[in-house]
Amino acid sequence: MLVGCLFVLALSVAGCSSSKAHSFQFDANVFLADLNPTSQGVLGALYVTIVISVVAQALGVAIGVLAALGKMARITPFRVIANVYIWFFRGTPLLVQLTFFYFGFGAAHLWGWDDITIFGFFIPGALQAAMVILGVNEGAYMAEIIRAGIMAVDPGQTEAAKSLGMTYGQTMSRIVLPQAARVIIPPLGNEFNNMLKTTSLIFVLGVVETYDHYVILQGLNYRPFEAYAACALWFLLLTTIWGFIQSRIEVRFSRGTATGSSALPGPGWRTRIFGAAAGSTGLGGH
Amino acid sequence: MTAPNISTDLLGAIGGVPRPDVDVVVDARDVNKWFGRLHVLKDVSLRVKRQETVVVIGPSGSGKTTFIRCINHLEKIQSGRIFVNGHLIGYREAGGGKKLVEDKEKNIATQRQEIGMVFQRFNLFPHMTALENIIEAPIHVRGMAKDEAVAMGRALLERVGLAAKENVYPNQLSGGQQQRIAIARALAMKPALMLFDEPTSALDPEMIGEVLEVMKELAREGMTMIVVSHEMGFAREVANRVVMMDDGVVVEEGTPDQVFSAPKQDRTKAFLSKIL
Repeated sequence: MLVGCLFVLALSVAGCSSSKAHSFQFDANVFLADLNPTSQGVLGALYVTIVISVVAQALGVAIGVLAALGKMARITPFRVIANVYIWFFRGTPLLVQLTFFYFGFGAAHLWGWDDITIFGFFIPGALQAAMVILGVNEGAYMAEIIRAGIMAVDPGQTEAAKSLGMTYGQTMSRIVLPQAARVIIPPLGNEFNNMLKTTSLIFVLGVVETYDHYVILQGLNYRPFEAYAACALWFLLLTTIWGFIQSRIEVRFSRGTATGSSALPGPGWRTRIFGAAAGSTGLGGH
Repeated sequence: MTAPNISTDLLGAIGGVPRPDVDVVVDARDVNKWFGRLHVLKDVSLRVKRQETVVVIGPSGSGKTTFIRCINHLEKIQSGRIFVNGHLIGYREAGGGKKLVEDKEKNIATQRQEIGMVFQRFNLFPHMTALENIIEAPIHVRGMAKDEAVAMGRALLERVGLAAKENVYPNQLSGGQQQRIAIARALAMKPALMLFDEPTSALDPEMIGEVLEVMKELAREGMTMIVVSHEMGFAREVANRVVMMDDGVVVEEGTPDQVFSAPKQDRTKAFLSKIL
């Protein structure tokens, strides 16, 4: 039903623009065919987008934790490494990082990105490069978010954990990070929303993900308007679904806070789409 | 006002008085500490025998809190030695015993298992229930089996009068209840020594009694305790000794009667006249 709403929205937008165009006729049949999830390659491309996003984000969080701890470390070399890493990956365009580390490193024989098979999954080199470079790039942004989260935890928590005989690792993993998570989760959700969309850049590596699928498609049928509209709609669907998942996760992680004792649900989908006051107009369709 | 349902036999929940083999639990010798240029502890020495309760009093800024924080190495010291159960805390000696080198973090963590600490602001873990707070360290630090830890945790909760609050998160508990759970949490590690850093200072007046009641019971049962507190009633009732600190120095020490009724030092007299 949600897809339906978005579809209607897209059609109306498309209708408006087509009326102003000179000799352009919006072809609904082409659009629907482009959008059709059962048409060849669409689901596969979406699958690639989702898998790469999840893996890259997970990698980004892991690297972000390390970089955040490195940035806060007492040992100077750790701090230097973390700072240089963050400086580089936040200071250069992702597109340049992707091409430099994939094509550049390949040409220089620094890293070949050979195809590998892990646990029975065949992972082509370009796909590896996409996941790793996106993840490493993301880690630089996550580092700041995670550091802010850790610093938001009362220092008394660390002292209490230490006084119970916990090591640094236990204190971080069992006491500080779970509490920091509360602060980290909302911006992390936004980062993942970004990640879903940013994966479209990896078409430069020749990975066929959602965007690249439609690039190829419009090259075949010469209908870029319909193809990219369908592409946008798929991304909109992904980020919208993620929005719902995100609000669930945020409720889950507010345990033990002032608002967390009662499981307050986030705003419903009506509120999210139409705003708080419009909920009563009731376009129906559960 | 007394706390509801505080039973006797608090230590029964953790299998009796821990470490009956040690005579002198704390032996601090000529401890010096600076915060930058500020000399906050000046040759502070203190011996605490097993099952003794020592109350440390003094004006704010006198170094009393800093001192007990040094005992479990939450603060570093620059010279002197602190032994707990005969082990040098936080450091190892180098250069023929002349220099102090900070110990490995892991060794310090091991030493802290023997030292329970109760904080002014409770510092319960907000993402864990009352019971989870108590069993966290026994399971993950001591390696206790979960069933065993839960049984002990429940026994402790019952004996601090909070059996019904097992699954409640700290933010739904009063300050007095939180502090009683914090005491139970520290006890669950079966420490040879308990440190209390102004445990009732952050409490509403009507909740002070219930926390003091638990502490008195602990003292009576023979837990070795160092308490930074201005609760004179508590000190008179259960302290073996009262130590008066001012400006980083131990000014005077003696039985509660000696210190409160017949202080020898002018600084002690001046301080007592303000708080009594």
